[in-house]
Amino acid sequence: MLGKLLKHELKASGRIFLPIYAVLLLLTIVNKLVLSLGCPDFFNEETVSHPVMEMIFAITLLLYVAIVVALSVMTLVVIVQRFYKNLFTDEGYLMFTLPVKTRDHIISKLLIAMLWTCVSGVVITITILILSWGTFTWMDVTQAYSMLSQQVETQLHLSMGLLIFEAALMMITEIVASILMIYIAIALGQLFNQHRIIAAFGAYVVISVALQFIFSIAMLLIPVFNLDYTFLSLADPTEVVQWFLNGTTAINLLLCAAFYFGTQYIMKNKLNLE
Amino acid sequence: MTNILTATDLSKSFGKKEALKNISLEIPRGKIIGLLGPNGSGKTTFIKLVTGLLVPSAGEIKVNDLDPGVETKKIVSYLPERTYLNSWMKIDDILSFFEDFYPDFNRIKAQNMMQDLELNSNDRLKTLSKGNKEKVQLILVMSRDADLYLLDEPIGGVDPAARDYILNTIITNYQENASVIISTHLIADIEQVLDEVVFISKGQVALTASVDEIREEHHQSVDGLFREVFKC
Repeated sequence: MLGKLLKHELKASGRIFLPIYAVLLLLTIVNKLVLSLGCPDFFNEETVSHPVMEMIFAITLLLYVAIVVALSVMTLVVIVQRFYKNLFTDEGYLMFTLPVKTRDHIISKLLIAMLWTCVSGVVITITILILSWGTFTWMDVTQAYSMLSQQVETQLHLSMGLLIFEAALMMITEIVASILMIYIAIALGQLFNQHRIIAAFGAYVVISVALQFIFSIAMLLIPVFNLDYTFLSLADPTEVVQWFLNGTTAINLLLCAAFYFGTQYIMKNKLNLE
Repeated sequence: MTNILTATDLSKSFGKKEALKNISLEIPRGKIIGLLGPNGSGKTTFIKLVTGLLVPSAGEIKVNDLDPGVETKKIVSYLPERTYLNSWMKIDDILSFFEDFYPDFNRIKAQNMMQDLELNSNDRLKTLSKGNKEKVQLILVMSRDADLYLLDEPIGGVDPAARDYILNTIITNYQENASVIISTHLIADIEQVLDEVVFISKGQVALTASVDEIREEHHQSVDGLFREVFKC
């Protein structure tokens, strides 16, 4: 049944994202055409392009930036709206009476949210590549990469592959944790009989503040127990980087587990649709 | 055969407010039962407990001897009083949705009913009137081959002609070993189709009886008895 939930979730959210992607790609191409045909020397201080063309490019560039911002905001809005509206408003009467496990509801929403977050990132990257096409060659890229990885290896004694892998793991767990934090805030919000959206927003703020508080305390405890000296005495930059990346990943995973099981508990036992 | 629904000392409270108090009830198979009571008497709460949308505060509820869950949701077809249709789907999309999730959903049957009620399968749900949305939901629910149908205020917003058609589909559509629970306060309209009634008042069962009993013992229609029991 998870597969079917995923399918319908993809349909429901795709109809919002796909048009934005299309508009963004179209606008990127227009930008690129205006730039390379109309004012190829736009970024060159010494030569002056045609003022009308410069004006047109400025406008299309502004539109492009606006759509990129809109896409980022929309990604967040859709993540919130799909979880809240589809499960905790009247639509919940349909969703929660489907012969489907509560777990699958959360997982399907989460996976599709992850998917769109990643796809949005990829699409924006692609548009930047298109815009900057011609200003660099493939060799520039590989050269820059090998230089960077050499530096990483000589200074951190760490292979670039491992570093990227660990950083990616940290980022993914970070995204999952932040999505699940939105979910648990919404689930907590629906425990209230009135003003559920405000309550959900409040729950989100409270959780953020609480986490900040806990981390600050933890940071304070480090010098108290002289951990910073032990840490510095290790002083191997490799270990410091490793500790930071994997430590963050571990904390993210803990948060993910707490948020996930909290959300599931509320949805199973404390559901109270209006 | 086991009862399709058994409630034992079932209670549900929201904070300090007790919505249901110690309800014990057995619903056999093959019956159409009216769950009747004034507004706010706990009808919807009871039905939501059966569907698993709410969890009991005390006591238990069993559907086909099982706690409400994935297995019971497969055999329960539920019509909420709310409109759960989202705005962007077409009627065809929601049919596919039901077909995907409920193996007992009969699409042909649904399409025929849509035609009878002059609903166009390409219409967006957003553009439908409130009454037509209710019709669509009722058709979806009655096109399943379920063991227990829970209809919460099924006829509130539809016109009398469609009302007759819908009541007719309810009686002709369900199978011998299935039961239908209809909650409503529009008793006169559905009286003719009911086998049994459960009067529910302030969260408690006030009376359970078969419609024949009511006619023989009280020499009254269900509607008349209701007005007497719940006289303000």
